[in-house]
Amino acid sequence: MKQSPWLNILFLFVLIPATLFLGRSIPGRWYYLTSTLVIVEIMVPFFVSFERRRPEARELVIVGVMAALAAASRVAFAVMPYLKVITGIIMITGIAFGPQAGFLTGAIAAFASNFFFGQGPWTPWQMFAYGFAGFWAGLVFHGHPSWRKPWVLGLFGFFSILLLVGPMLDSCTVFTVLPKLSLANVLLIYGQGVPVNTIHGLGCGLTLLVLTKPLLQKLSRIQRKYGILEDRQ
Amino acid sequence: MYQDPFSRCHPAVNFCFFLAVIGFGVVVQHPAYAAASLTCGCVYYLLLRGRQGLSFLFGLTGIMLAITLLNPLLNTSGRHILFRLLGRPYTLEALCYGGILAVIFALTFVWFGCYSQVLTSDKFTALFGNLIPAISLLLVMVLRQIPAFTRKAKQISLARGAIGKGTGENQPFRQRLQSGVGILSALTDWALEGSIVTADSMRCRGYGCARRTNFSLYRMTGRDVLLLACIGGLSLVVMLAGGMEASYTPNLYISYISYGFAAYCLLLLIPPVMYLRERILWNRFKFET
Repeated sequence: MKQSPWLNILFLFVLIPATLFLGRSIPGRWYYLTSTLVIVEIMVPFFVSFERRRPEARELVIVGVMAALAAASRVAFAVMPYLKVITGIIMITGIAFGPQAGFLTGAIAAFASNFFFGQGPWTPWQMFAYGFAGFWAGLVFHGHPSWRKPWVLGLFGFFSILLLVGPMLDSCTVFTVLPKLSLANVLLIYGQGVPVNTIHGLGCGLTLLVLTKPLLQKLSRIQRKYGILEDRQ
Repeated sequence: MYQDPFSRCHPAVNFCFFLAVIGFGVVVQHPAYAAASLTCGCVYYLLLRGRQGLSFLFGLTGIMLAITLLNPLLNTSGRHILFRLLGRPYTLEALCYGGILAVIFALTFVWFGCYSQVLTSDKFTALFGNLIPAISLLLVMVLRQIPAFTRKAKQISLARGAIGKGTGENQPFRQRLQSGVGILSALTDWALEGSIVTADSMRCRGYGCARRTNFSLYRMTGRDVLLLACIGGLSLVVMLAGGMEASYTPNLYISYISYGFAAYCLLLLIPPVMYLRERILWNRFKFET
């Protein structure tokens, strides 16, 4: 199905710079509202292109199930509460179904689970960070089944969380709590995030290491059995 | 279940109200505005949650105190030095700034707490259901599935325990991990097969053939239009009136409040006033009959 790129271009090159430009004129902590708006604007094209495609019931349901699984997975690992499985499952969805499905799964999982744990200023940031995790994993591994060695995936998961997804989650703290954006303060917040991100990354890497093979088998079986979420031209 | 009158309004009214209140709350650093917003937020939160809300507010007080006292350690500019800590100045201005940051932090949490109570997920999908049909359907499904999967995962782990494959805190890491993987893999199989059944059943019942309808029906009444106009008008007055400027470091400067502050208070008081009005009317009817 053909999609016009104009909307994405409008968002990326017109609306976001406009927000940044106008946002600076807010007195005081201008970056609080502006950063959140920009994050929301980055996500809108993803959602719009999904809506435009008029997805079939089966696609919708699979993405929904994966998002719910990611959010509910903490129960399965209740004996190991420090192990965060959610990002791992989102990444596996991205690997199996491609970047767009991965992004949606991550964003929806974050948004929906916040209805249970409470919405807050962090919601858009979590949606974006988790969505990015799925998108990024899908981008790297979706077209390359031969790259999916367990140890490669484990390392990929660990470093993606430590270097990309974790700092994105910390950015919420940077923009919403800091009194002043100065290099020292920003580095302090990111530095404080490192231990948490390391644990999160270890959990994600471990999940990818152990779960990728069984989950991918199940997903590709479903995919072949019912012919869903294949690239439609 | 009792719902307060503001929660019974059209979701668009709720959404616009929270958009305006949280937006202003986050941006405006004037102490009077921030204090008014926090007070009204706490009042409304307590009206919504009753006595249960108190523990949340007490918890916030501790965090507020911490933010206030920690800010001068990060930010050392300011003219009135209270004392020196390890050679770094601890200034009055930074302390005031920390106080205002703490209030803003608390008011976002309180208003988001109210948001979660008022704009429930069914209202959210009712509001955006026809704008983003696929995603709001996705959201509805996920919201149903999270509790369902949680329940199923507990059942699976109980069943595994009954055949001697249960796990406890004292087992080695490897075994616990294997058990988690086992539960998740069983859950995934069950969920994926179920999802195909759901999808086929949706297709048979004509998914995608017509406009989405909602579980809860909301109609825009005259009262809702009036409220929307009030929210929009008052927000505009607040923005145009000005008098919200305040800066803290290095020099303390707080502008005089203008009539915009009155408009801001009126905006914030909409839900509590609606609640009070209903209570007064109800009591009057009770005594008349």
